[in-house]
Amino acid sequence: MFKEAAIRQPLILGQKSYGDITSDVINPIENKAPKGWYIAITISSIIALWGIGCILYLIGTGIGVWGLNKTVGWAWDITNFVWWVGIGHAGTLISAVLLLFRQRWRMAINRSAEAMTIFAVMMAALFPGIHMGRIWLAYFVFPLPNQFGSLWVNFNSPLLWDVFAISTYFTVSLVFWYIGLIPDFATIRDRMKTPMAKKIYGFLSFGWSGKAKHWTRFEEVSLVLAGIATPLVFSVHSIVSMDFATSVIPGWHTTIFPPYFVSGAVFSGFAMVQTLMLIMRKTMKLENYVTIKHIEYMNIVIIVTGSIVGVAYITELFMSWYSGVEYESYAFINRFSGPYAWAYWAMMTCNVISPQLFWFKKLRTSLGFTFFMSIIVNIGMWFERFVIIVTSLHRDYVPSSWTWFHPTFVDIGVFIGTIGIFFTLFLLFARFFPVLALNELKSILKVSGEEYKSKH
Amino acid sequence: MNQNDSMGTENRYWTGMEDLHETKEFMDSAKNEFNSDLTVDEFVSGAGEANLSSGRRDFLKFLGFSVGAATLAACETPVVRAIPYVNKPEEVTPGMPTYYASTFHDGFDYGSILVKTREGRPIYIKGNRDHGHGSVNARMIGSVLSLYDGTRLQGPMKGSSPISWDEADQGLKDALTAANASGSEVVILTEPIASPSTEAAVGELKAAYPQAVITHVPYSPISFEAIGKAYRNVVGASGMPYFDFAGAKVVVSVAADFMTDFPLSAQYTTAYGSRRKPEGDWMSKHYQFESIMSLAGSNADVRKAIKPSEEGLVLASILNHITGQGSTNAMSEMTKGAAEALKGARGASLVVAGNNDIHCQNITAQINSALGNIGKTVRTDKTVRLANGDSTAFNALVDRMNKEGVAVMLMHGVNPSYDSPRAVEFNTGLAKVGASFSFSSHADETASKCSFILPNHHALESWNDHNVITGHYALSQPTIQPLYNTRQYQETVLKAAGNETSYYEFIKSNWNGMADMQSTYATDEFWNYALHNGSVDLSMSSSSSIEGSEEGSSEFDLSASLSAVKSMSDNAGGIEVVLYSKAGAGTGVHSTNPWMQELPDPITKVCWDNYITMSPAQAAEMGFNLYMREELPAHTATVSVNGVDLTLPVVPVPGQKIGTIGIALGYGRGANGENIGNAAFQTKEYGGYDLDEAGNKKPIGGNAYPLVLMNAGMPSYRLTGATVTGTGETYPIASTQTHHTIMDRESVLKETTWSNYKNGDVESYNKPHTLKVHEGGEIIDKPVSEVDLWDPHPVEGIGHWWGLSIDLSSCLGCGACITACHTENNVPVVGKDEVRRSRDMHWLRIDRYFTSDMTKERAMEEDLGTIEMYSEMEVPSENPSVVHMPMMCQHCNHAPCETVCPVAATTHSNEGLNQMTYNRCIGTRYCANNCPYKVRRFNWFNYKAYAKFSEVNPSQDMMGRMVLNPDVTVRSRGVMEKCSMCMQRIQAGKLDAKLKGVAVPDGSFTTACSEACPNDCITFGDLNDVNSKVHQKRNDKRAYLALEEVGTRPSINYMVKVRNREENLA
Repeated sequence: MFKEAAIRQPLILGQKSYGDITSDVINPIENKAPKGWYIAITISSIIALWGIGCILYLIGTGIGVWGLNKTVGWAWDITNFVWWVGIGHAGTLISAVLLLFRQRWRMAINRSAEAMTIFAVMMAALFPGIHMGRIWLAYFVFPLPNQFGSLWVNFNSPLLWDVFAISTYFTVSLVFWYIGLIPDFATIRDRMKTPMAKKIYGFLSFGWSGKAKHWTRFEEVSLVLAGIATPLVFSVHSIVSMDFATSVIPGWHTTIFPPYFVSGAVFSGFAMVQTLMLIMRKTMKLENYVTIKHIEYMNIVIIVTGSIVGVAYITELFMSWYSGVEYESYAFINRFSGPYAWAYWAMMTCNVISPQLFWFKKLRTSLGFTFFMSIIVNIGMWFERFVIIVTSLHRDYVPSSWTWFHPTFVDIGVFIGTIGIFFTLFLLFARFFPVLALNELKSILKVSGEEYKSKH
Repeated sequence: MNQNDSMGTENRYWTGMEDLHETKEFMDSAKNEFNSDLTVDEFVSGAGEANLSSGRRDFLKFLGFSVGAATLAACETPVVRAIPYVNKPEEVTPGMPTYYASTFHDGFDYGSILVKTREGRPIYIKGNRDHGHGSVNARMIGSVLSLYDGTRLQGPMKGSSPISWDEADQGLKDALTAANASGSEVVILTEPIASPSTEAAVGELKAAYPQAVITHVPYSPISFEAIGKAYRNVVGASGMPYFDFAGAKVVVSVAADFMTDFPLSAQYTTAYGSRRKPEGDWMSKHYQFESIMSLAGSNADVRKAIKPSEEGLVLASILNHITGQGSTNAMSEMTKGAAEALKGARGASLVVAGNNDIHCQNITAQINSALGNIGKTVRTDKTVRLANGDSTAFNALVDRMNKEGVAVMLMHGVNPSYDSPRAVEFNTGLAKVGASFSFSSHADETASKCSFILPNHHALESWNDHNVITGHYALSQPTIQPLYNTRQYQETVLKAAGNETSYYEFIKSNWNGMADMQSTYATDEFWNYALHNGSVDLSMSSSSSIEGSEEGSSEFDLSASLSAVKSMSDNAGGIEVVLYSKAGAGTGVHSTNPWMQELPDPITKVCWDNYITMSPAQAAEMGFNLYMREELPAHTATVSVNGVDLTLPVVPVPGQKIGTIGIALGYGRGANGENIGNAAFQTKEYGGYDLDEAGNKKPIGGNAYPLVLMNAGMPSYRLTGATVTGTGETYPIASTQTHHTIMDRESVLKETTWSNYKNGDVESYNKPHTLKVHEGGEIIDKPVSEVDLWDPHPVEGIGHWWGLSIDLSSCLGCGACITACHTENNVPVVGKDEVRRSRDMHWLRIDRYFTSDMTKERAMEEDLGTIEMYSEMEVPSENPSVVHMPMMCQHCNHAPCETVCPVAATTHSNEGLNQMTYNRCIGTRYCANNCPYKVRRFNWFNYKAYAKFSEVNPSQDMMGRMVLNPDVTVRSRGVMEKCSMCMQRIQAGKLDAKLKGVAVPDGSFTTACSEACPNDCITFGDLNDVNSKVHQKRNDKRAYLALEEVGTRPSINYMVKVRNREENLA
């Protein structure tokens, strides 16, 4: 006589054995890549090369090849920077925060999400570098000893905080991701047949032998890193938002920015995870691991963060009116009724109105709709940053200097190029790295008793 | 550690068993443990070869030395063409500027100047405020660049082949001798010459060739000869009188832009401006009646838009109001106020007209005469000899040339093939002239058609004298050795006349013998005195009192003039056209100068083009674009008038009379690809010239001179009966300002009326900004300056605190400061495409704001929504008031730029300056974004080397580079730059005071902008010096800080603009 728990749903479907999990994850690495992979990587690397060409042209000729002007000193460069940093946030949130909250469903998606974080942060970090007029002096931003005596960097500058925030975030995320990969690399090492691959994966697995002591340390390090990474989820985008919040430009000078940016980041990050996972689960046949449940959970995160973002937008509008400050109120009136109103309304539609459709269960469990929405959200979030940066700058205090911003082919090329680089890296990851945390996944194979029952 | 130095009582420690046993190997190596280094010499000489156990250190030394030496050798900056002085010239100390007093004269502009030279190179021109007529405008300041024009002719030319000066002289002599032998006509066609010695030189030529008929024809491309003729007619003056704007309580200008487009405009600007300061007992009241929005009109207290054909009627109605002569007309109602004001200021008022029409000018002279202004504000005793070419003589000359009546022509300072309305006839006539000699510095439109070009020196390489104003004698002196194999025009003439003396000696001896120079003056001391000061003013002897005899010519018939202006208006039809000249290009002489092309027009803020100005209402009706910006080009339209077509872009300008258009003269130079200057042609987006289908370089703008109408023998710049048809095509326009209204932002711009200023309290026009704060449980209003999160930089009351005060009442918007700043600070020229992209590099700009019909008050009254209010505020009024607001770095104490720079490249000095450290800048542009005044300028490209700027930026030119100020760094690509408050001058000024052992005296040095301002709008000084002018101005009741509530605490303050009118909206 026994009673079984009715609530616990299986997290991995399809009657998998431990061996099946290993095979499912490692097969793509062992076998020849499908044709589609070659097509995808060819397209994305062509785009990446075009982007790299644009970057080299930019560095070789000058920032003037972008469409910036005396009034609008940042536009697509910093928009892209904030966009990519934001996208990165989901990975850390999934792996660190959900780890601390013992959300075990995260295991199916955390590896890819973390990889996405790493690549997105790499793309993000590119922009503060290439947007400099003299990138060859970029090391000036580090507080290095120098021959000038007490020549320090300016610790008052939020841009300097960015340097520290982004570099810390990137380092922690990379270490976290890599620690997680070690046992999986060891599994691959053990299955590889060619000496070269064996050597490489052997090196990457750092001599992992699967001892109980290894696993204990692995768990402990993961927890410690999760503890370190969790505040970073909130600090990085808060600091990025301070680039704007600490300035004097109406539309930038807003105390609401840190929480608003963080929720926006999670919002866009989850959307990007959706985009990637939906493709991956289909092409790599991981439907049993990345289930509708995962998709739905993530869509719920999207509704929540999307609503927070919506509240933030409305709060901003209210504050601009309530402050009674002429410049502040004009900045917002100009946003929704001025020359860039189309961008504002694109942002509003994509970020505030459309995610609300996920209140319908049918829509939030629909794969096609989720994929469509994930694209829409990322477009919306790109526009959010564009709206904040360009519409605030293009009409600020002195009307004589009001201008417009028109992107050049280099602006577009660099942006599209980073998407190309991102996808190239991600495709390489999907081909050569275990896309699921296969060893961790094994720990959640038996969360429900269904399988046991069916066999006895 | 040796047993020998330790006594038995001490403990002994071993480093090992070897030590204990004192093995031989150990003892040997212990000896070498701290080996004394082998010196390099020993090593090299091989002395130490026996003991090479210490070679490692030496090896490293050699390695270090050789790598270091190789690196140093590789890193040495190549020195390109630096020639050190072998012997130090007297007066030249490297690093110290030398100033020469000289005079600017080009037949249109005139001013006493000081030329700053560094190491023998003139690099900067400023007004000579102490002597003569020392106001300068942008054209005069910018003229220094034309000296270094790499496209100037390198030597004399015959056709298109270079010749020697001997051959050139022979050619000229042969031609003159032949003319002398045949007794045929020799014509000397020049700019209006006001140089006694040049006239004397021409006299020598006449004497040397007595049989030849030598005639001298003065020619002005933009002529104001009607003014002189009218005053001769009406009051018997000997020419154009000197207008004393400083004595006029009421100024009525009928379409005269006496600030840029008028003879002696720079001097008149100063005189006019001196009476626009509200602090005085009185402030002049300025009425302007005009069709285009001119610079003078933009500064008027009352401005009325009229058609050009109504200019005469306006004058007639004013005359009618004052004397009752003539009859009332359609304009009488409009001119009533102006006439009343004039009547109230008899003898202290001034009416000027800009129309080169004898009837209009006759009536103007009659009005001034009736008001008793003659001899008071209209100084008929002082004749101004500028822009007074003899059109009748020129017309006759063109006819004679075409009849093959002219054997030899000498042309100096003129370019009729370009700027004469009869250019076509002139060209055919020129081909029929036996031998033609041009003294032009370029193979320009006219010179390239001459048989010989004997290039003249640039004015800064020449000696000359000028007598532009009666009794005022001025000298020009060379400030540099001639750069090319050129020769002074007068010297060539003297040589042809057989006189081998230098022109310098010639002037000197000529002055000695001149009638005006009383014998006592004719000494070396007097000459040196005149040369030192640049000019002398001689009190006129009784012999010259014939001028201003108050006796008009018997031929003068007022009623004829009155009926002529009436018929002028009656016969007008179609669209009427006003041809004017711009602050930069002037008559066209300066349109090859990139500084002048990059100088924004004071009203439209458009650079690098001329265009059709049209009222926005009419442009909207005709379907043309109303706003121009980066990706929004202008529509082009074809103007057809009197059988001439001209296609230009249409730029709507508020204030333009409906039914009229304006077109600037002086553009479209080099239409046949003449080599007149690198920057004179349109360039492509990635550099290189834009070529038309035929492969010719496209000129900048269109030439409007063919439109000029010959009216009764005089050129008229007012046309009627034009048609304007859109071509349906577009053309990009580069403008430094694309938004035109102030949006009712009172913390940027404050203005009031004179009566309010005089009677009202400060609160009513300069209310300090306060913030509500909680203090002691109560809400109180606190001045912004007392609400602060941080401690300010300690500059107040400690050492120096440099600041500027800018008086908006005094700023007339002429742009002289922009060019001075450009010159002084090596600001790059970026060309049209970059200006179109809003990337002009001006450190100092003049913001021009038009008023809008919509205000916050009106929106409140009409209960208008905010969105609607703001969108209507973007539209300027039909006839708006205009404000010119110079804007540069405000050197804020709480500078938003300083806190955001990640590398501390922009910091605050302990003298209150916001400084840029170019070497430290990495170019994040965060500072520019965070600047509320938007005054920071980024080096988007390597302007001094990138191909896009090869044609436009003079610093890419071997010669043009010589104009750079050696005290100011040329900025590299990717760094931010901005106004430094002429840091280099502050340093020099402080050093100077230190050497003299005195505290820095107020006014001992100043910034380039404040020096250039003809109207003392910008005051520089030490705000900590309580006696300084700038300190007093900062504490004046008109003083305010722009955007004070942002809390930036600028070191620069503005002073409320005061208009002399009853209401703010007249």
